[in-house]
Amino acid sequence: MKIAVCIKQVPDSETRITMSGPSPKIDSSGFTRVLNPYDAYAVEEAVRIKERLGDGCEITAITIGGEKVLETIKKDCLAVGCDKAIRVNEPAMIGAEPMMTAKVLAAVLKRDGYDLILTGKQAIDDDSAQVGPMLAEFLDCAQATVVTALEIGDGTFKATREIEGGSEIVEGSLPVVITCQKGLNEPRLPSLPNIMKAGMKPQETVTCADLGIDVPAALSTITTYTPPAPRAQCKIVENDDPAAAAKELARLLREEAKAI
Amino acid sequence: MPNIAVFIEQRDGAIKKVAWQMISKARSIVDAAGGEVWAVLLGDADASAAGAHGAHKVFTASGAPFTAYNSESWSRALKAFCTQQKPDLLLMGSTAMGKDLAPRLAARLDAACISDSIDLNWNDGFVIRRPLFAGKCFADVTVTSATAVVGIRPNAFPFTEGNGAAATTETFDPGLDGFTPKAHVTSTHQSAGKTIELTEAEVVVSGGRGLKEAANYKLIEDLAATMGAAAGASRAIVDAGWVPHANQVGQTGKTVSPNLYVAIGISGAIQHLAGMSSSKCIVAINKDPNAPIFKAADYGIVADLFDVVGPFQEAIAALD
Repeated sequence: MKIAVCIKQVPDSETRITMSGPSPKIDSSGFTRVLNPYDAYAVEEAVRIKERLGDGCEITAITIGGEKVLETIKKDCLAVGCDKAIRVNEPAMIGAEPMMTAKVLAAVLKRDGYDLILTGKQAIDDDSAQVGPMLAEFLDCAQATVVTALEIGDGTFKATREIEGGSEIVEGSLPVVITCQKGLNEPRLPSLPNIMKAGMKPQETVTCADLGIDVPAALSTITTYTPPAPRAQCKIVENDDPAAAAKELARLLREEAKAI
Repeated sequence: MPNIAVFIEQRDGAIKKVAWQMISKARSIVDAAGGEVWAVLLGDADASAAGAHGAHKVFTASGAPFTAYNSESWSRALKAFCTQQKPDLLLMGSTAMGKDLAPRLAARLDAACISDSIDLNWNDGFVIRRPLFAGKCFADVTVTSATAVVGIRPNAFPFTEGNGAAATTETFDPGLDGFTPKAHVTSTHQSAGKTIELTEAEVVVSGGRGLKEAANYKLIEDLAATMGAAAGASRAIVDAGWVPHANQVGQTGKTVSPNLYVAIGISGAIQHLAGMSSSKCIVAINKDPNAPIFKAADYGIVADLFDVVGPFQEAIAALD
């Protein structure tokens, strides 16, 4: 079985976003770059499936990015059990919309052919949650998004996906694109020896031209970035008696904020 | 003159209220800019309220493919609708179904796809506002494809009851003859006892590490029940195993934007603020006056939550 894991390097969730310069842009100079946390569930799930199915299984980590992403590929993918990696190095894809990302990843996936494609339910930078279902459409295959449990059978899959107030079970035939949600597994940490050995695993770097495609055209444009509006000063309800403060708070919410 | 289509999401005949919110917003835009609002329903549900909320027309397709949700066949059906009617925008709720369906449809249409949007304006072209980095900044986005597929966050817009006018209803051909999907939903499970979904709730009451132990989360659930609210949680107590991940509010949990958000014993890590800072009114109860949650809150009480929550619940119950 050939498994692909599509991953993205993102600023970690504690990052403060500052907007700088004359034209709208996000200052990325202070970012700490990490593997998108939802993609970590995808990597871990691939490794667990390989552990169950044995050596007939091969895991390829696929990403788009510059040289900064190499550390994430090595430490968070190859060192925890991915067998090889493919990086699409295409500067024109910096800040690309999800549709462009999906078209480029689909070109890699079609070239090599995979039975199972795993990725995170969304990346925590643009929060679009689009690439997974788009890949399924471009590959003309099944999809299951926001998955918290996955079983792979003989050419089949059974996935539990989160919906409002519960879950639903999706069953179908491989190939399938699965987007992974917290709860699917608990990602392992790489060991130091495995990080050392990861550098020996095969890594391929390709461009769009190598894949036989043009850099996809953008269908949307971000015209402005705006920071959140500052909130008014918090009104602290002062009272030495907490019960009286609670009562006053309820009154304010009803009469002043009209929130209840 | 933009024409805006709105996807009416139904499961087992029950329509998500985000549909009415999107129709009301779309109507306010076309009233100024010209054009029409078209509701699109796949499957059997009573969408007669669509007209009252502002839709000019309701397009429906029914039959066996629409008894249960399926990303493959439903995306084909909506592409058939978009090809036939050529709306400028197709709005879909950013729900479990909408997030699964919208990108697949957009890929099929080769249309711009914008997720989880919180505002929509017309200025000789649509300007769509959406949060990035879980709300730490906002982007205004314009689109260039003939039709754009835009996800709308539930509760981003109020809905109006409208003028009560009836919409005309037409059926359309979803073009699914001979199509067999490669996967199916084989069963659904609703969690017992939970009636209000976090992302749709008007009021959310969340608890954090200040609760000290798992058993005390009952304080949050009881207050939520009194307020008709959904119960949420910080990442800390989800990671500690006190409550399921489905209750987590924050960057790696749910993003909520209720009318009222009550944060109890939550310090307000940037991770948590990312999931709730678009709430209309925020209340913080925390004994640490320096907790960052107070910078995000509109109202606060600096005190031990165990002294406040009980009396607050009584005071809420005593309101008319």
